[in-house]
Amino acid sequence: MPTLTLDGRTLSVADGTTVLKAALEAGVSIPHLCWHPAFVPEGSCRLCLVEVEGLPKLELACSTVVREGMNVKTATPAVRESRRRVLEFLLAEHPVDCPICDKAGECRLQDYYQEYGLTEGVYREAKERKAKKVAIGERLLLDRERCVLCTRCVRFLKDVTGTRELGVFERGAHSEVGILEGKPVASAYAGNLVDLCPVGAITDTSFRFRTRTWFLSARPTVCPLCARGCSIWVDFHPGFPRRPGSAGVYRVRPRTDEAVNGPWICDRGRYGYLDLHRRRLPFIYWNRGGQRVEMSREKILALVGEKAKSLTARNQGGKFGLVLNSNLTVEEFKVVRQDLLPRLPGARLWFADPPGGEDDGFLLRAERTVNRRGASGLGLDLAPFGSTDIGQGLTVLVVLSPFVGPTDTAAGLGRALASVETKVLVSPVETGVEGLFDFVIPSALPSEKAGTFVDGQGRSRLFGPALQLCGGAWSEGDFLSSLAAEISRAS
Amino acid sequence: MKAVFSADLRRRVEDLAAKYPSKSAALLPVLHLVQAESGFIGPDEEESVAALLGTTPLEVREVVTFYTMFRRKPVGRYHLQVCRNVSCSLLGGDAILDYVRKKLGLNVGETSADGRFTLNTVECLGACEQAPCLMVNFDHYGNLTENRVDEILGELA
Amino acid sequence: MAEAKTFARALGGEGGWSVEAYLQAGGYRAARKALGEMTPAAVLDEVKKANLRGRGGAGFPAGLKWGFVPAKTDKPKYLCVNADEGEPGTFKDRYILGHDPHLLIEGTLIAAFAVGIHRAFVYIRGEYENIARRLEAALAEAYERAFLGPDVFGSGFALDLRVHRGAGSYICGEETALLESLEGKRGHPRLKPPFPASVGLFGAPTVINNVETLANVPGIILNGAAWFTDQGLPTDGGTRLFGVSGAVARPGVYELPVGTTLRDIIFTHAGGMLPGRRLKAVIPGGLSSPILRADELDLPMCCDALVRAGSMLGSGAVIVIDDRTPILDVLLRVARFYAHESCGQCTPCRLGTAWIRKVVERMASGGGRPGDVDELARLASGVKGRTLCPMGDAAAMPVLGIIQKFRPELEGATCRP
Repeated sequence: MPTLTLDGRTLSVADGTTVLKAALEAGVSIPHLCWHPAFVPEGSCRLCLVEVEGLPKLELACSTVVREGMNVKTATPAVRESRRRVLEFLLAEHPVDCPICDKAGECRLQDYYQEYGLTEGVYREAKERKAKKVAIGERLLLDRERCVLCTRCVRFLKDVTGTRELGVFERGAHSEVGILEGKPVASAYAGNLVDLCPVGAITDTSFRFRTRTWFLSARPTVCPLCARGCSIWVDFHPGFPRRPGSAGVYRVRPRTDEAVNGPWICDRGRYGYLDLHRRRLPFIYWNRGGQRVEMSREKILALVGEKAKSLTARNQGGKFGLVLNSNLTVEEFKVVRQDLLPRLPGARLWFADPPGGEDDGFLLRAERTVNRRGASGLGLDLAPFGSTDIGQGLTVLVVLSPFVGPTDTAAGLGRALASVETKVLVSPVETGVEGLFDFVIPSALPSEKAGTFVDGQGRSRLFGPALQLCGGAWSEGDFLSSLAAEISRAS
Repeated sequence: MKAVFSADLRRRVEDLAAKYPSKSAALLPVLHLVQAESGFIGPDEEESVAALLGTTPLEVREVVTFYTMFRRKPVGRYHLQVCRNVSCSLLGGDAILDYVRKKLGLNVGETSADGRFTLNTVECLGACEQAPCLMVNFDHYGNLTENRVDEILGELA
Repeated sequence: MAEAKTFARALGGEGGWSVEAYLQAGGYRAARKALGEMTPAAVLDEVKKANLRGRGGAGFPAGLKWGFVPAKTDKPKYLCVNADEGEPGTFKDRYILGHDPHLLIEGTLIAAFAVGIHRAFVYIRGEYENIARRLEAALAEAYERAFLGPDVFGSGFALDLRVHRGAGSYICGEETALLESLEGKRGHPRLKPPFPASVGLFGAPTVINNVETLANVPGIILNGAAWFTDQGLPTDGGTRLFGVSGAVARPGVYELPVGTTLRDIIFTHAGGMLPGRRLKAVIPGGLSSPILRADELDLPMCCDALVRAGSMLGSGAVIVIDDRTPILDVLLRVARFYAHESCGQCTPCRLGTAWIRKVVERMASGGGRPGDVDELARLASGVKGRTLCPMGDAAAMPVLGIIQKFRPELEGATCRP
């Protein structure tokens, strides 16, 4: 455990810690572009040079290992001058694209210029013109003028995914990042390249030009698209008053979590979860012959509550069917088990979850929901819901799942449901089978809830609400406890 | 699509690769071999070399584009490389380059229409005591004068 | 002088390059002595005492470098002969490789024995193709006679030595870029530490030595360290191959004692200036060494004296510049060269050399502006000391040197109306 003096402060660090890591741990920021915690030090951007007492030249913080008694200074005039010079080289050939560059506001080059540069431009030669829109992947564009050749993208595809689609071609100032023709980045983790790029060289076409980063506020939550439950940020725009539809989630990004997903998420979650936020249902409605007639919460509660009460009064609880899904929170499952089911003795319970897929050996797990263990941990029977079960004389079916329908044909599900008198769908997103239900209640995405998931590693993941409930949404927990209360009200 | 290497070339490549602790270390000498046969390293050659050495076509291209001597497009039968570094320039290297350009009717980087000559400039060839110098393919010529250039060009069929 | 010179055969070509000629001239006696009568430690010691400084450019003591390799390691060890010879103005190794290849082979053999290395490569620049073939022929001769192979001289010592061609990249003369290239990759220099002596070729302990450095080893072993230092200086022993080029009457390679003055080299040995030309400047040790003025010729050519004079001995390549050559023209070659050869990995070299080239090209084509020289000085000092490998300094210091010593002439180039 060597001791290091950093700008006058004494720190004790683990063996093998680099100066940069020690500084980051101590909250001292040292500028860097090519270093990233997931890779071995590269040492090529030269921004992290610092003064080490006793050594004649400035040394790289990213690759210098702390030795006992080392005395490091990160803010001397020599260090400041060094940063200015390196920045000056970077900015000389860098296009002043900020007004049209997606990265503006979260760009390291901008930040470092603000903090360590602020010099007048002295470059009077003609800048090199390079390709600005090279398609390197399905949703990825490379702007070679902006690229600072930090090679994080190349190294990610080499060291993390092993797919190696990107390389560095040519030499010297002609060096450029690129793919082989016809072999774009196809990795299921390609979206991470956009986060990784410290500048706006790699941009996401699904995000390109849609908004400015300073309108977005990053809210922490958990991705529910598989049992990994990656920690994520959802970037939320509050919307412009005179621009309908401008409010919403614009981006889903990884939230570094050493115990769960490190600094990455998969594209399935990144784009899949973003997409879910855009496919919401508008309001509670009664499906009257294809027409959507809006209803109030009180009305739907009264209606369903009435039917439930009449069934229990006649000891026909078995005609009440309840379908849940494994993305409900532990707290919501508790409401079902402790509040609702006791008031519906004999009610039939199923789970409608998406079919399992492949475990990709990295982050994506075979189970495509996040809280199966939360449900089973409470002793809830996870019998899977198949439409064939329904012919068993249900008169009321409340489906709290967006996963009913995809594998059944709409015709088959329709036929099975036809015999059920009252069918209610409670789903956070459009599923394509809304037309088969009598009543539809838009519910909440996990990002709009507070609660707990028990992820695939058995870890309890507590999260607070990242977003306000969208428009007409009614969180499942709220609906279920309200329903329980309605049922227990004396008629 | 992989380039088809003759059995002889493939054998020579494999012999070379076997001499290194790891096959991929033979990449530069192998690329020289392949270029001597094919004239250049195109996408097809990249694929074949990658397959033989257990690396990827992308990594082959990374190497090909880094080194001056590897070419991605064919050159003329006689690749003239005129040195433009300091020792040659001190003794009239620029004038020799101009003379060669005029005689061949080529600018730097161009290949003659009949495919005989390609003209390029290069950095120091390591024969500065014979400045000014040029190379034709792998053969070195020094102490150049306009007459000597005429002689050399005349010898090239 | 009557004493036997180490490089007489390489430079004079007497007797030819074959193993027969080499043996007739007393070749391979030193290697037999080392492998037959000495311990590796004794060989290492002798080379250390001789103060043999590296002849590639850095001047690092060879014995010291060999000593950094761990004696006990479970990894194979490697020796790389640096025959990349890319430093502009340098052509001495070409003579050794082409005319006395067995001298190099013998030196490599002794070095490998001293450090316990059994696999060696000669990394030869791709442009030396014809010389590489000569070297391969010499290697075949050596293998045939068991001077190389699994049982050298029947001593039990094994050494496998192969030729590996480069493909046109100056930076591959830098030792860690050489290793990357030998591993079949782009020639990107590595971060140091770790140093090649502990983590080198394929991650194993590796020694990299210049051709001329190794070619001096047989002489040291045969005649002793004192014989070597006596020829030169105590801290910088032996003779060196000074390659003289430029506006001199007799350009060529001259084997002279370390410490010979620059004046002597140019005027006594290389025949002085070409008729009608006066000496304006000299680049003493290859293009990367800062330029010297005409009044600095009395410098003894040894590593330390040149460093004290603000330059470096480098590869011992003396480039003589005459008064008919505008200094801007020299600067132009410098600027173009380093921009062309930069590997592109690190920010200051990649962008700094390109920027410097743009400014100098603009000046050279008549577009010079007031302030250009200051800007060049600023750019070069921005690159200096901040790069991943020594090529940054190699690119920056010649620019700074030319500005320091010839500023008025350069300023003149920026004042065209």
